Amino acid sequence: MTSKLTESDQRALSRLCIQSGQMLLQHGAESTLVVDLTRRLGLALGIEEIEVSLSPNSISVTTITDRHCITTVRQCPDHGINMHVITKIQHLVVMTEHQVLDTYAAAARLQKITAKRYNRWLVLVMVGLSCAAFSRLAGGDFAVFAMTFIATCCGMLVRQELAHRHFNPLLNFGATAFVTTSASVPGFYFEIGNNPSLIMASAVLMLVPGFPLINAASDMVKGHINIGVSRWVMASLLTLATCMGIVLAINLFQLWPWMR
Amino acid sequence: MNLLLTIIHHAFFAMIPAVGFGLLFNVPLKALKYCAAGGAIGVVCRYLLLEQGVSIELATLLATSVVGFLGVYWSQRFLAHPKVFTVAAVIPMLPGVFAFRSMIALVQMNQLGYSPELLANLVDNLLKAVFIVGGLAIGLALPGLLFYRRRSVI
Repeated sequence: MTSKLTESDQRALSRLCIQSGQMLLQHGAESTLVVDLTRRLGLALGIEEIEVSLSPNSISVTTITDRHCITTVRQCPDHGINMHVITKIQHLVVMTEHQVLDTYAAAARLQKITAKRYNRWLVLVMVGLSCAAFSRLAGGDFAVFAMTFIATCCGMLVRQELAHRHFNPLLNFGATAFVTTSASVPGFYFEIGNNPSLIMASAVLMLVPGFPLINAASDMVKGHINIGVSRWVMASLLTLATCMGIVLAINLFQLWPWMR
Repeated sequence: MNLLLTIIHHAFFAMIPAVGFGLLFNVPLKALKYCAAGGAIGVVCRYLLLEQGVSIELATLLATSVVGFLGVYWSQRFLAHPKVFTVAAVIPMLPGVFAFRSMIALVQMNQLGYSPELLANLVDNLLKAVFIVGGLAIGLALPGLLFYRRRSVI
């Protein structure tokens, strides 16, 4: 890889690198990983120097060959967490480093990576079971387990429908929390199980923004304070929106006596 | 015997959320069973530490660092970033209940006005949640901080 790159080669390489970085950031990779993979891809394909700079919703890449500089910027609207995409890009970078792929093969492969998702009904049932398992871990009996499953499934249905229609995530989380809490109300009124408040507490756990929180903290630990703070604030806002939904339902159904 | 049963119970009910949230994060099919294993190991480690009287923050840190090192081992075998395995695995340990209690106290303070009990509720639960999340993130980042300082895991 010592041959001279022409200017159009360099331009194509810059585009390739920034596209991989953009996809990583959009699908919920932590900052260190985005910077690392983008740089490694560029260096493996023969660029002399490459610098990556991240901001919460955009990425910019500068490549240097023969003292000739190209800088390019891309917007990164959030596309939801998708580990499938991240794994595929990681494989692509490793294969490029081992010289299995050249620039054209890498570009062709990158275009083919799509955000594959699991069947939504499978996800719905499994998340329902997950929250039911939380209630079991917190000490609920079988009736609580079943009610949590039902409440979570109702909430998950709303969440998927709203996400599918591209509603704002904050609105989505608030609405989902409202529906989930409302669906757990029969547990209080009919005194189902050994501890009805566990139903509500466990069912809304599906709305804890776990991935953004962990990403935020690890970004800040590794020196990307800026992105870490913005992710942390977003995760807090999502939690606040969820609480608004819960409190709305509690007020509507007069549940405060059970909350003490 | 009783302890063994409790451990199996915790492990089983930690595997379900690890897989469920793995699906939500679109973890590749081949990695899902490692998410489940990591979830079970993490929750059981934390349970055992809590039984020994360790505080919940420290127990979380130690349990997630075990998961973090396992994640590095798996990531080198399967060429995927450790977070692919570890984040879904630590989901059962997230302090969701603490976070919600503190936020509900915040909203209640808005409705009912200030009271020392509500403020105490807010601060106590918020601090617990923040420290546990910090413990989770540092535990997962520990292999990188200790051994992979100037090179990538894969």
